[in-house]
Amino acid sequence: MRAGGYTPLREYAAVGDGRTVALIASDGSLDWLCLPDLDSPSAFGAILDAEKGGSFSLAPEPPFTTTRRYLPDTNVLETTFATEQGAVRVTDAMLLPSSGLSPSRELARRVEGLAGSVPMRWRVEPRFQYGGRGPRIARHGSRPVATGGNDALAVSSWGAGDPVLDKSSISGCFAAAPGHVAMLVLSAAHQEPLVFPSRTEVEVRLQETIAFWRQWTADRTYAGPWRDAVIRSALALKLLIHSPSGAIAAAATASLPEQIGGERNWDYRFCWVRDSAFTLHALMQLGCPREGDSFFWWLLHASQLTHPRLRVLYRLNGGERAPESTLRLAGYRGSIPVRVGNGAAGQEQLDIYGDLMQSAWTYSVAAGGLDSDTGRRLAQIADLVCELWRQPDSGIWEVRSEPLHFTHSKIMCWVALDRAVRLAEDGQIPPAHAANWRAQAEAICAFVDERCWSEEVRSYVRSPDSREVDASLLLGALMDYPARRDPLMTATIAAIRRELGHGPLLDRYAGEDGLAGGEGAFLCCSFWLVDALARARRIDEATELMEQLLALANDVGLYSEEVDQDSGEFLGNLPQGLVHLALINAAVSVSKGPRA
Amino acid sequence: MNVWGAVAGGFVGTLVLTTALSTAGELGLTRMDLPFLLGTIVTADRARAKALGYIMHFVVGLLFAMVYLGIFSAIGRSGWWLGAAFGLAHGLFAGTALVNVLLPVIHPRMGTPSSAAAERPLLEPPGFMMLNYGRRTPLATILAHVAYGTIVGGFISLG
Repeated sequence: MRAGGYTPLREYAAVGDGRTVALIASDGSLDWLCLPDLDSPSAFGAILDAEKGGSFSLAPEPPFTTTRRYLPDTNVLETTFATEQGAVRVTDAMLLPSSGLSPSRELARRVEGLAGSVPMRWRVEPRFQYGGRGPRIARHGSRPVATGGNDALAVSSWGAGDPVLDKSSISGCFAAAPGHVAMLVLSAAHQEPLVFPSRTEVEVRLQETIAFWRQWTADRTYAGPWRDAVIRSALALKLLIHSPSGAIAAAATASLPEQIGGERNWDYRFCWVRDSAFTLHALMQLGCPREGDSFFWWLLHASQLTHPRLRVLYRLNGGERAPESTLRLAGYRGSIPVRVGNGAAGQEQLDIYGDLMQSAWTYSVAAGGLDSDTGRRLAQIADLVCELWRQPDSGIWEVRSEPLHFTHSKIMCWVALDRAVRLAEDGQIPPAHAANWRAQAEAICAFVDERCWSEEVRSYVRSPDSREVDASLLLGALMDYPARRDPLMTATIAAIRRELGHGPLLDRYAGEDGLAGGEGAFLCCSFWLVDALARARRIDEATELMEQLLALANDVGLYSEEVDQDSGEFLGNLPQGLVHLALINAAVSVSKGPRA
Repeated sequence: MNVWGAVAGGFVGTLVLTTALSTAGELGLTRMDLPFLLGTIVTADRARAKALGYIMHFVVGLLFAMVYLGIFSAIGRSGWWLGAAFGLAHGLFAGTALVNVLLPVIHPRMGTPSSAAAERPLLEPPGFMMLNYGRRTPLATILAHVAYGTIVGGFISLG
């Protein structure tokens, strides 16, 4: 199944605890885990370098086939291995801390024999600091421990054979038979002593973790179509929420390629302001007001340092610096460079002001208003948009070519000013400059209509005087860009499907972006199309497309950022928050049916 | 050295400290806002939190001035320069333990590095030396506390 040490990205499932996420392949190998947090360096990074990255394998020795699922309504993964000698079930979970003393991060792998006697083998090979620091492995007391710098990992095992330690790994083997339950636990510590759990404590925490996820899911209020997919997406999003701050990472991984062997490899373990509007909308639709509160507060706090200007992205702890650097790793299937940090942090992207103001509007409606301090800040941001909207920018796709007057950016500036006017009319923000906001919003509309519409293409186009369509323009329909332009938006939707479509898939754009090579189809654009069709009262079309897109998820319901247009292979980082957000919002739009 | 000197010093020192940090925030040097952090212990309303936080910060400032007075009395020496040294230690303590470690533990709306999926805090944890609130936060915080200590030390030595 593996080629050169790499398994298809579609084979990965994610488990997490609200601080970090582990990716586990269907062959039982844990190939990605950053510690202590999602945006920390990896301790297991075989997904980016099969030799140097580090992994935790656990699988039958004889050839096997697997079936997987998440335990219903949880982020706890269950993999069943079938071999000629019998069958084994492995349950993987990042455990949530209990009230007593528990490890700061803890991953449990519970092995249960189902039939026959299956020889099992496991090997823990941590490589701290993105594979840059080899571990020191020794027994601390009775427990095998790997240390590297300020990080330490204890490997606790019960019924999983005697651990064998060598210079670079801790391993073991045992036979799994019915009635035999083995447990393997990684406990991590960063700048603090390790906590060694007992087996009983681990079993209790595993059950408590399962119970927490089931309760969290039971509290969600969504009752529309495709509930399983929507709830799985909600659970995937919950994995990306950084619990200490409320920030939401765009994805759990870094530098998974948008084209195999290509250079489009980016670190997505940051929170993008752009995603905020989709995030707030989805959280409110799912009945997650506390997560919504937490995220909006984080957004306001993180953006305070540069107020009224916004950074494109922020670190999960609220920091604004994300310097981009390259790691000496082989890259997923040779896709280099392997980047951490993200250079887009320093770009000017005007659309994010629209996303923030839309978030504020969503939050205000859901929370019953904004406080005066927040209102004053939002008014200052609206004033800034009046100054900025005539400038070129790098746009939603963060192109690394020269800045342009992207049509989508202008539309989102209109969204910013429109929501500012709405908030002012609602008494939520100071209305002193509302007349100017209205006037500038009208000016933006005039600019878009006069310069960004192509009679030849019969569509809004990527930038003034261009002939290129761009899937980001679907967001005009999602953001209620003036209703009187409905026919133009309908024509734009048709042009996007015609020019960028591959069956249910859409490319983002076809124009220049300053990078070599191509990329897969951008999944969130397809879900935006579903949303746009639903809002245009084309429910049957939206439903058909949604069904096609849901069939593209992997076996446990997760999506990566992109899909190869021909092979259907996953590309890019995963699980990808924006795709799951778009899925949720599209399902909600369809569930609301034709609008009056 | 007497209590009234400490009270006056604590009041003026806290006034200067709060103003200095507020100015640093307006200048884009830090997202650190002590009254806001304190006020959100008791309310989630941002405006009310800031108002209550100012009062709480003055109370805390006066209490610390009493601690300064106690230590000055114990060692039998005082002065603005000794106050400045205390302020430096006070600022370091605030960044490494008081706000970084203790405040998240007692703050009902603040996350900690160990907050997991079951928790949904409204405020991000400050981090070591409050660096999560901006790279220049340690500098701004320490300078503001040195100013506070200098004023408290000066007032106490005058009393």
